[in-house]
Amino acid sequence: MDIAYAIEILAKILVVFGFVLVAVIFVVWMERKVLGHMQDRIGPKRVGPYGLLQTIADGMKLFMKEDILPSQADKVLYFIAPGISIVTALAAAAVIPFGDSVTLFGRAVPLHVADVNIAILFLLGATSMGVYGVVLGGWASNSKYPLLGGLRSSAQMISYELAQGISLVPVILMTGSLSLATIARAQEHLWFVVPQFFAFVIYVICAVAETNRAPFDLAEAETELVAGFHTEFSSMKFALYFLSEYANMMVVAAVAITVFLGAWHGPVLPGPVWFLIKLVLFLFFYIWLRATFPRLRYDQLMAFGWKVLLPASLVNLAVTAVVVVLKG
Amino acid sequence: MLEALLFAMFAGTAIGCALGVVFHRNPVHCALLLVGVLLNLAGIFILLHAQFVAALQVIVYAGAIMVLFLFVVMLLNVKGETPLLTPGAAKFFGFLFALIVFVEMLWTVLQPGGDAGAPAAQAPLPAEFGSPAALGRVLYTVWLYPFEITSILLLVAVVGAVVLAKRKFI
Amino acid sequence: MLGAPAVPLLWYQMLAAILFTIGVVGVLVRRSALVIFMSIELMLNAVNLSFVAFSRQYGSMDGHVFVFFVMAVAAAEVAIGLAIIVAIFRNRETASVDDVHLLKG
Repeated sequence: MDIAYAIEILAKILVVFGFVLVAVIFVVWMERKVLGHMQDRIGPKRVGPYGLLQTIADGMKLFMKEDILPSQADKVLYFIAPGISIVTALAAAAVIPFGDSVTLFGRAVPLHVADVNIAILFLLGATSMGVYGVVLGGWASNSKYPLLGGLRSSAQMISYELAQGISLVPVILMTGSLSLATIARAQEHLWFVVPQFFAFVIYVICAVAETNRAPFDLAEAETELVAGFHTEFSSMKFALYFLSEYANMMVVAAVAITVFLGAWHGPVLPGPVWFLIKLVLFLFFYIWLRATFPRLRYDQLMAFGWKVLLPASLVNLAVTAVVVVLKG
Repeated sequence: MLEALLFAMFAGTAIGCALGVVFHRNPVHCALLLVGVLLNLAGIFILLHAQFVAALQVIVYAGAIMVLFLFVVMLLNVKGETPLLTPGAAKFFGFLFALIVFVEMLWTVLQPGGDAGAPAAQAPLPAEFGSPAALGRVLYTVWLYPFEITSILLLVAVVGAVVLAKRKFI
Repeated sequence: MLGAPAVPLLWYQMLAAILFTIGVVGVLVRRSALVIFMSIELMLNAVNLSFVAFSRQYGSMDGHVFVFFVMAVAAAEVAIGLAIIVAIFRNRETASVDDVHLLKG
């Protein structure tokens, strides 16, 4: 392992994680601004130009707040739970390729932190570990609304994880690889959203449910559960949960782009720029959903996941398998 | 060198977590420590070039089975039992039998000429060893029937769990 | 091509033996049915480690297949076992194996 390689890896880690953390600031701003305009308001506009620095101000406020520890909380788990959430979200970001390899200082540098040959399994593993952050946060607070919220959202995440995983398999069948870089390269001429439109729709629905966002934000149904699993969390711990929610949003969006929407491919502009454009559009779609749909009831949510999405993704998988075999 | 270091780290943590599983009072902590054991074993599987099995370990074992465990522990709200261990002679014999099992296993492992000690086939492995493709090839050819039977087993388990959960009394 | 392992197989077997023994202790001395269940999982995992290590040593994928089967069986076992524990808990308000002795006479 030579020095240049080590520097390259370190630089990429810093860039990717730094990007995710900084981008969260702007995604939060974008969400509030877009949501505001969709609801005929202006949204944040006081701090900085167009309210751009509003999130930083909010972050500072959270940072300064008193850190409250509920007296009956399980202290160790109460501290660990937000950490699990953010670590799994950032770990998942490590395997996403955001551009083809570029030549820097005479070295071919592939634009992702790690090209794991089982990248998709790694992603599924990271998301399934993310459940622990939620369920432990709910349990460790030792309070009834967080517990209910934690159980609800973890049941939801586990249920939708299945359909989400299976909706990715048809693409794996078509490319014959679990590596995200290979899948991305296979879409140079045809994006997988065209032949695998149903898989894409299923993936997007599951991705929204997986990140506990509206209309699937049962975990923090504020009319019934206060704020769900993070009701008792304050200060930096709350900020970590907040951060991991948005980091997760970006990760599932990035996966959707890599697997279905042609990754970094696009005319004229360089790869990473295209990736960024697609990411912003996808996140806009996310916010649009939130502004449009009312929240589902819990039993509707579970029934939809198990009785509609899972069978649909299985049928889609079977059809794809037959077609792939017939085409040889 | 790095491999030995990683092995020591994973093994040490796994043993520590395993002791915690058995001797911690709070069942929720026990379940989480077991997750710790599973994740460390996944790391060891990667050292052994079993990437797919490691991924399965994380997704299926740590991500699905243990979450189910955690659910049940949280829903039942079982407090740590007092006393923690079985009282009386059962405890003594428990430790004794465990010791005997351990000595037997060590004896088997350390036996000269045994499988474990032998500098077995050191032929270089093919590069795709442990990949999903390689596992699939073996699983769907040599082990096809056991694989199909496993699916029936899982179906039976699902039906059984639903039946048990639906009925008011056993 | 993968070279020879840097850590001898013996160490992996020792680790598996230690984990298995800890699992045995858990099954034999703990009272909570849930923890006993977890100890069984621990023992299954020790065996899995042994399978994978031998697989690496002999360069055959069969060990991985066995781990796959063990995981499937463990999933089935946990689903049923936890359902039984929940049923017992509903009826008798206890998860301790020492309190479930109706057949003792």
